[in-house]
Amino acid sequence: MSWQRRLAARAPAAVFLAEAARIGPVRETLALVPGIRLVDTPRHASVLLVAGVIPTGWRDDLRRIHDQLPAPFASVWCRCEPFEALRNPIRIDVVEALPQGVVETHRELMLGKRDSAPRLLPDEPPNPWEGLGDDGHGGEGMMGGTPYGRPMAMNMQDDRRDGLTLDTLTFRLGPFHSALPPGLQAEVSLQGDLVQAWTVTRKPFAGVVEPIFHAARQSSVPIAELELARARHHLHRLYRGLWLAGWPTMAERALRLAEKLGPNSDVAGLRRELERGGLWRLALPEPGRGVLDEAQARQLGGPAARAAGIDADLRSEDASYRRLGFAPTCREAGDTAARWRQWLDEIEQSLSLAGRAARYDLKTAETAAVETPRGPWAEGFPHDMSDLLGEVLPELEWGEALLTLASLDVAALDPLPLANDWRTGFAEAKREGSP
Amino acid sequence: MTPSLATHIAFVVLAALAVLSGWRVFCTDSMVRASFFLLLSFIAVGGIMILLTAEYLGVAMFFMMAVEMMVMALFMVMFMMNPAGLNPMKMVHQERVAIVAGVAVFGVLSAVAVLGDFPDMPLPAEHAPVISLGRELLGDSMLVFETAGVVLLTTMVGVVVLSSRRGRYGRADEGSVPPGLEPGGEPAGRPKESEEEKGEEGGHAHQHHH
Amino acid sequence: MILDQLILPWLLAWLMAGLGAYLVAVLDRWMATGSTQAGSVWLAPLASAAWLLTQQATTTEAPDAGAWRLAPALYLALAATGLALVPWSPTLVGVDLATSLVLWGSLEALATVVIFLHGWSANSHLALIGAYRYVALGISYLLVSMFVLIGVALPAESLRWTEVVAAQESLWHVVSQPLGLPLFLVVGLGLTFWGPLDLADSTDLSTGTAVERSGPPRLVWALARAAMLVAFSAIAATAFLGGWMGPWLPGPAWLLLKSLAVLVVLLWLGRRLPRLAPERCLTLMWVVLLPLSFVDLIWAGAVALWMA
Repeated sequence: MSWQRRLAARAPAAVFLAEAARIGPVRETLALVPGIRLVDTPRHASVLLVAGVIPTGWRDDLRRIHDQLPAPFASVWCRCEPFEALRNPIRIDVVEALPQGVVETHRELMLGKRDSAPRLLPDEPPNPWEGLGDDGHGGEGMMGGTPYGRPMAMNMQDDRRDGLTLDTLTFRLGPFHSALPPGLQAEVSLQGDLVQAWTVTRKPFAGVVEPIFHAARQSSVPIAELELARARHHLHRLYRGLWLAGWPTMAERALRLAEKLGPNSDVAGLRRELERGGLWRLALPEPGRGVLDEAQARQLGGPAARAAGIDADLRSEDASYRRLGFAPTCREAGDTAARWRQWLDEIEQSLSLAGRAARYDLKTAETAAVETPRGPWAEGFPHDMSDLLGEVLPELEWGEALLTLASLDVAALDPLPLANDWRTGFAEAKREGSP
Repeated sequence: MTPSLATHIAFVVLAALAVLSGWRVFCTDSMVRASFFLLLSFIAVGGIMILLTAEYLGVAMFFMMAVEMMVMALFMVMFMMNPAGLNPMKMVHQERVAIVAGVAVFGVLSAVAVLGDFPDMPLPAEHAPVISLGRELLGDSMLVFETAGVVLLTTMVGVVVLSSRRGRYGRADEGSVPPGLEPGGEPAGRPKESEEEKGEEGGHAHQHHH
Repeated sequence: MILDQLILPWLLAWLMAGLGAYLVAVLDRWMATGSTQAGSVWLAPLASAAWLLTQQATTTEAPDAGAWRLAPALYLALAATGLALVPWSPTLVGVDLATSLVLWGSLEALATVVIFLHGWSANSHLALIGAYRYVALGISYLLVSMFVLIGVALPAESLRWTEVVAAQESLWHVVSQPLGLPLFLVVGLGLTFWGPLDLADSTDLSTGTAVERSGPPRLVWALARAAMLVAFSAIAATAFLGGWMGPWLPGPAWLLLKSLAVLVVLLWLGRRLPRLAPERCLTLMWVVLLPLSFVDLIWAGAVALWMA
């Protein structure tokens, strides 16, 4: 064993996480584990972690991602069936065991105790060479033909920004791209860095909320716990957004806050840091970008609707919440920046509600209508709204589009609760947090 | 002062690099590659200039050509970004004319080099290229350089203004019309249009935009 | 002659590039306070490097072979060339050209080319967007950088770094040209695409130009980025903080300390701020910083006339 490999074994395990359906916040759990580094591209990873149920239509994409990892690499499977072609796949179903399992896998790979996983697909271009003409470059004149499946420049679309028509670049993103909701695949047309068109080709997997929201539909639950779960949900979204906004320090801070969340937690410090660092002034899209009109906001519901000035919140129909003096918090603008602020407002509100509810030991009075962090759940529950992206994202610059996407919770809500044992850590965190 | 052996070797290597990469410009099938081969050729020429003790000109050559070729390549990728400008394209056209012109120009230039009668005056030892360049730029030729500079700047601003859709009175394709002197009045500062021109308002606005 | 004109600059530049890059990795980890990273701060960068060295260097579908292989090495070479220009003392200078200041400027311009090639050659969409985003913004950083550097060259009446330092004998440029250093630091973050101005290898592009990189070339790219940041700090210390000048300590030690200070400021800014939105960055560059750099230049000229 060379000293180089022994040294390499001490490096953090670089993990590309493919999030599939029906899995809780695995990313958020792993992000704080020492010795694990989550990466945004399979090329930077040594471990592919597949977590959750993979529907049949998504398995081929996963194979393609699997083969993009540079050797030596291995895959770890959490709550899903590994590919048959893998000889000795690592399966870890208990989320608590994941961090250690992943780190151990990396170590074994580096120390040569485990062979690199085999490639599953033949190494050839997904599309054949279809260049036309004398030199294989195109059809008539300089253009035409579709070499490697990509049409040559023949752009006649008008530019949406300043009339300077550039050639359109069309590509597919997803379904396991780390900046998109899990499962979403989109066909994106860019002119320069401006999104020209955004077509959702595959819908995202239904999102899950913490089991307590499902419990609240069955019987009355302590408001303090419900509100802490809501705050945690928003903090997790804030974490993903801040990571995307290129501010890992603050992203981590949001996550640490979520981890130790209790009724006495304070989000004011985080808000102050975000303001001072210039998140709204420098990093987020300018006011007026990524605006949802009233119909769209109403359809989407939840925080996005309240950020657009619609004061719809099922909590105001609950007698116990009324006792706490609950009134929905709203913002007027309805743009991306407002939705980011709305997160902070709602976290703050949830924490103060949780504090007061814990004092009086209040429970919810209503079970027919529950406001989940994703949106209202009464007779209907939040459905998939990913087609909305095709209306909101065009005309935004790439970075703005992704930060807008991060601010929108478009996946449907999974009506079935996750098995309670999926992560015992939740219960523990709550017990520690409450006074 | 006779150049050292190292200088000779450096010259031969740089000259070969300049010619080779210059030749590759015409063999490659991508505009981006072509412009960067050209950049390589220029960098080699800049190196030769440094060997000729024209230090400033040599280094300035790196600088100017890097930015120039970069901007050129960027525009090519922007307008031909299919994808990444890596799909092959035919880069040479009208070969016969080009070959004839190339051979003719090469003949003329080499004739000048071989047959020309160059002055044979060694440079004074204290000669500083930067200082003399500065004197030239801000001395007798100042008017020429400044005029050229201002004209270029005006052209750039003009092109940006003309190609932009955003106009002073709104977007060009939505009929950029100056506001009236009183609210709702006739557009200010415009000659009265005849009835027939008014009928073609849409087409009119469209022309602005091109 | 061969010793001090060829071997010494070479050694000096590579030693600085290697040690500097290591230092950047250590400092950056150390600054990530309350961080989740395991292991000792000193060993971790070495472990990561060893990991990358064991990894396969993947390739993409039909990349531009030459540029794909060369771009990281070329960027590292540019960083090392930059470090070779830094004067450590009046006599200890790697490359003491009469136009070393312009050479630094052309390194900045050539870096734009190399970063573009790094993203473009991968033949992959996210890398491409990173590449041309960098170029679109890089032009504006370059302009600001040029005006600031001309301002530094004015009082020295020379384009040689050693003379730029010598001209700060009475007063450092950080005082006589108060706008210069802040502007130059912004330019530094931009040109090395670090922290708030990391728009080429950013997270919204899943690490942009490096998205398809793995194995040793990725290590070289990371090394080159860190070494470029070090080169920038050393040049900033030379241009504004009086380079080797200072009491008690020998010249090289002073330069080292000053460069370290600049480096720490750059890294701290990188941790402290979110990434700028490209559109806002462009506005900031052209509408705010470029006019400020004009002011800096006029100021520098006026001060030079007054002091002369």
